[in-house]
Amino acid sequence: MSKVRRYEVTAAGDFASVLAVLTDHVGLQLVSLEEVERSWLDTAAGTLAQTDTTLEFRTPKGEGTASLTWATDGRVLVHDSCVAASAPVEAGELPESAAFARLARLIEGESLVLGPTVHSQIAVLACLDDEDKTTARLVFDRSETLEGIALPMLLEVVPLRGYDSEAAAIEKLVRRSVALSESATPMKARVGNATGTPANSSGLSSEMSAASAWRVVLQQLTKSITDSFSGVLSGHHPEDLHAFRVAVRRIRTLLQDGGDVIDPESRDRFRHEYRWLGDVTTPTRDADVHLLEFPELAALLPQAQRDDLAPFNEILIRHRNECQSAMVTELRSIRRAEFGSAWLEFLSNEDAWTGCGELSDEPVLKVVIRRVEKAHRELVKNGGKITKKSPAISLHELRKEGKRLRYLLECFGPLFDQEALATILRPLRDLQDVLGEFQDTEVQGKALLELADELATTDDHSALLAIGGVVEQLAMRGSTARNEFSKVFGRFDDRKVQRAMNRLEVTKSSGKKKR
Amino acid sequence: MKVLATYNIKGGVGKTATAVNLAHVAAAEGNRVLVWDLDPQGAATFYFRVKPKVKGGGKAIVRGSIELGDAIKATDFDNLDLVPADFSYRHLDLWLDDAKKPLARIRRALLQVSHEYDYIFLDCPPSISLTSESVFRAADALLVPTIPTTLSLRTYEQLDRFVEENPDMVRELKILGFFSMVDRHKRLHRRFMTELRTAHPEMLEGTIPNSTDIERMGVHREPIGSYGKGSRAARSYESLWSEIQTRL
Repeated sequence: MSKVRRYEVTAAGDFASVLAVLTDHVGLQLVSLEEVERSWLDTAAGTLAQTDTTLEFRTPKGEGTASLTWATDGRVLVHDSCVAASAPVEAGELPESAAFARLARLIEGESLVLGPTVHSQIAVLACLDDEDKTTARLVFDRSETLEGIALPMLLEVVPLRGYDSEAAAIEKLVRRSVALSESATPMKARVGNATGTPANSSGLSSEMSAASAWRVVLQQLTKSITDSFSGVLSGHHPEDLHAFRVAVRRIRTLLQDGGDVIDPESRDRFRHEYRWLGDVTTPTRDADVHLLEFPELAALLPQAQRDDLAPFNEILIRHRNECQSAMVTELRSIRRAEFGSAWLEFLSNEDAWTGCGELSDEPVLKVVIRRVEKAHRELVKNGGKITKKSPAISLHELRKEGKRLRYLLECFGPLFDQEALATILRPLRDLQDVLGEFQDTEVQGKALLELADELATTDDHSALLAIGGVVEQLAMRGSTARNEFSKVFGRFDDRKVQRAMNRLEVTKSSGKKKR
Repeated sequence: MKVLATYNIKGGVGKTATAVNLAHVAAAEGNRVLVWDLDPQGAATFYFRVKPKVKGGGKAIVRGSIELGDAIKATDFDNLDLVPADFSYRHLDLWLDDAKKPLARIRRALLQVSHEYDYIFLDCPPSISLTSESVFRAADALLVPTIPTTLSLRTYEQLDRFVEENPDMVRELKILGFFSMVDRHKRLHRRFMTELRTAHPEMLEGTIPNSTDIERMGVHREPIGSYGKGSRAARSYESLWSEIQTRL
């Protein structure tokens, strides 16, 4: 499928007159015409940009409801035309649907940051064939910043799958009818440039020293921990704990891969403490997952058995509350408080980040690429050794290696060539999903059986039987994931990904790929 | 990826309308959906306004000489693609018969695009043949629209018996029957529905009404959710889809 072709409209005339040429002269069908205020959302680390996707929030001028669109290269992945009037900031505020759930998993509990807002007039046009079937979509866009800076009008030709030649033909016709100049820059980046908010708002740059870059990312992750901390203590929203744990895991990866970059003594100390922090939150997260997934698993059983599960649900709730209470005690402990202040002090102490390791003053890109390559090599080598007979522990270990690679790529994402990064991350995330499903179903199955022991002391055999049914469902899901492993691993251990690894580095002068 | 085949030995029971409308509902929820039109009549192809022309020919897909992905056409709806059928699909049985491991052919073709889609709907021709057996092997579930009339009930029983007698072929295939083209004013329809539900309690609760709104799909050449959003018939497909998801 061809990529979107983007043009700056250089023709004289305003939006309405160019639109009239497109409809009346070229013969395109006007599908929609909107006047909106819009802005784009992404995480601070640019997770969406790294996956070649955009999340756009629009509010109509005049009457109507706000909309949210997740898209890739001009193609809509999911669109909700009726969302709350304010843009979502947390994954929990995204609309409920399968696709938005995928987006929530992608951002892994990170907060969304709203970019600058622009006023836009957007026309969507369709090129129809003789069956009135759309063969290409054109998006004509005129935007200006809130300060009144008008951006060049943009026209995008979005080919539909299977209709590449038709899209090329209409593109040719449009180019003959309207003065255009080819441009690769999408409106989101243009808005960023015009408002002084570059697409990469992560605070990272390839000129930075390794130690400075490590510090910037660790500061961002620490902010995620701080932001979610009160929510973790209250225990009202499982996503707070999830976001907290993701940030902890990422910090652990950065500490693990921070050898020769971070002061060794501090690194050892904090690695130990963050491991502890991860460990004390694990039982509550597991209990959250049991509770969140249980209704879905129970729904797979016949109605009569579902009713039998009521006593077990009470056990799950009680167990979750016990875990939460134990976790809160640890999080309010002197150990946590001392470690927290020491960590903040370490991050804010300039001296602790200069000349602290052999590679600390090296350019970050050089250091991080080396770490990424090593993590990639190990993942490919160990993944290639997995067979159908490999024990579950080998897959669990592989998952950890995959996480390490993924977090390095995501944490330092803005430094890399974005297309190459997306090519690596897509199959890596699929692989991690399958490995995650395999491990989660196994852990969950075992934990449910352990909790069910409590029922064994009663005469409630029907509940036990029903739990057996749930565990069986989990085992089936786990087995499906295991069977899918070789396929998803094959997509990751692929020449395309290897080539993208070689293209990750971008030279600062030309912007062209170095290797 | 889940593969759902709309199937019935009998024709004219609403298979294509089911495939097209459920696929549209699933895609509107943000799932990535593909419909593969396997019926030489090409009704699903017609409903999506796609030309009944298969790049490289259906035979090449079945024989594996071209990839299924190369034959895919985007529909006018986000996240919803189609593999069109043409009249040559009347030879599908012969193509399969000539191929090695015919029962695995459709599954193998689908695997090439499995990472791109959450749901794949197979719109099957009516009959019980090598094509349907390949579909049984490829699908996770058969969606069986059944009109509450004597003949339809008879074919439902035939399918049920076939599945029971061929456990190796169908493996973990789920049979999800539901009533289609239901006219609740007809006493006979109500009676047959009660009888069949008693004999087959596993049948889905959701029903699709006999509705001119659905018949108008041929005029609009769109899924009902596009031109008749909110209508009773459109809502019936939405609730049927919700129920199917809980059974998968």
